[in-house]
Amino acid sequence: MLKLEGVTRRFGGIEAIKDLALDVPAGARLGLIGPNGSGKTTLLNLLSGVVASDVGAIRFDGERIETLSAHRFARLGIARTFQNLRLVRHMTVRENVWLAQHSLPAAAAFRRHAPAEIAFAARIAALLGELGLAAVAETPVSALPLPHQRRVELARALARQPKLLLLDEPAGGMTPAETREMGALIARLVPDDVTLILVEHKIDLVTRLCPRIAVLDFGRKIADGAPGEVLRRPDVMEIYFGRAETADA
Amino acid sequence: MGDYYVSVLANIGMFSFIALSAYLLLLTGEISFGQQAFFGIGAYASGIATALWGLPFPVALLFGAGMGAATAGLLGLLTLRTRGLYFAMATLAFAELVRLGLQEWIYVRTVEDEPVGPNGVDGFRGIRYVFENGITPGVFLIVIAGLLALLLVCFALAERGRIGSMLRLVGADPLLAATLGIDVKRVKVLAAAAAGAIAALGGCLFAHLNTYVEPRNFDIMLGVHSLAYGLIGGLGTAFGPILGVLLDVGLLESVRVFQGYRMIVFGGMVALLLIFMPRGILDETRVRRIAGVWRRGRARARHHAEA
Repeated sequence: MLKLEGVTRRFGGIEAIKDLALDVPAGARLGLIGPNGSGKTTLLNLLSGVVASDVGAIRFDGERIETLSAHRFARLGIARTFQNLRLVRHMTVRENVWLAQHSLPAAAAFRRHAPAEIAFAARIAALLGELGLAAVAETPVSALPLPHQRRVELARALARQPKLLLLDEPAGGMTPAETREMGALIARLVPDDVTLILVEHKIDLVTRLCPRIAVLDFGRKIADGAPGEVLRRPDVMEIYFGRAETADA
Repeated sequence: MGDYYVSVLANIGMFSFIALSAYLLLLTGEISFGQQAFFGIGAYASGIATALWGLPFPVALLFGAGMGAATAGLLGLLTLRTRGLYFAMATLAFAELVRLGLQEWIYVRTVEDEPVGPNGVDGFRGIRYVFENGITPGVFLIVIAGLLALLLVCFALAERGRIGSMLRLVGADPLLAATLGIDVKRVKVLAAAAAGAIAALGGCLFAHLNTYVEPRNFDIMLGVHSLAYGLIGGLGTAFGPILGVLLDVGLLESVRVFQGYRMIVFGGMVALLLIFMPRGILDETRVRRIAGVWRRGRARARHHAEA
């Protein structure tokens, strides 16, 4: 469903993403790892239309989309969360999740109690329950601890019923226990037919959720395959565990 | 009611339009220093429609508002590509261009043996539709209040629903808005056009109440005031900018003790509010609290009624 060919994005003199090829079939779960500054977030920005590629083609369901603006990416059914959290701080949890309503067809904007809106409200109520946010639904998000704020972002993305879901460090800043909980929630709440790309530093979480891992380093993809193979590769181990350990092995 | 009070209330009504116009743009995160241009365009366009072309006042209102929307929409289309000061500077430059243009523009015709029409720096005399049709200032005040009420109902409906949420989200976080499927530029251009129409409506009413307008009426001070009204009164509700107008025109301009000190008190008020209440008196948090108290009060009343 998603196919990248020769995608390059420069910022000044730095190539944040270099000549990247990636083929993600529908319903796949791809983990994206790599050191800080390796281009993971830039790749998510490219895939959500937040930044444009300088060179190369991005195909979504066969259509070229690399020149479209961000709202057109969203309307194709691409949803994302943000590593640095983009929540409207003075709004409550429920109101923040309701922002997903802007992905509903425009006709619903002028009709109160339109069928699409009723179904949407029910979906949000269910999501808040599943994510353990029902009790804090009327609390301003700024009053919540970080793990809950990340759940609000996840709820907002899921409420849109996306085809492609991009998660940018959904367990960033969490304790191991919180990370395990987040992993369980993602596994349970992301429907099987949704394509998932997960950017994460925590290898446990990635291997648990994704049967396929791609590794970025200095904007290049250096490995792509099953976690067992990819994580055993010397170049990947060098990035993650340092040179000494690979020398011993 | 004395003429003085009628004129004060009429001023509050007319300035509420331009205040709401600037407020609408502030919601989308854009600062305009040029809403006075559309106020002026509305004043001149509607004046020409009634005084020179002999059209009825309601048609002139529509014509003025349409001209305001068209020019504001076009300006927005050209300048709202990027966020920030670009739009603020462009609106200021445009407003000065309009004012200087009106100073040069002469379009005088003889109507009933008298010269009528825009006459450069001498202004536009003889917009006498209201006077000639026997509409008293009191009745015209009702027209102003009615149009303002209608506009506030539109704002209230929009803010309760998806449109209001969209405008505020575009203002709060345009990147998030875009990734949720909102065409940020289109929302901003449409908001600019609507704001242009609203300011122009205020101008139409101003011209017809005063029978005389001149380019000086639409200088930068009018734009700065219209912006300040929302920032003083608050950006949490459309009643915020109205509160700003009430404080400035209603209190400072009309109460005798403040006269002569108006600009000093007004400037001080803006400075203090920007420090202590950056989104005005009726900001989002306070509006939320008031709405909560109101809802609980109504629930209690219903409970009592049932018991």
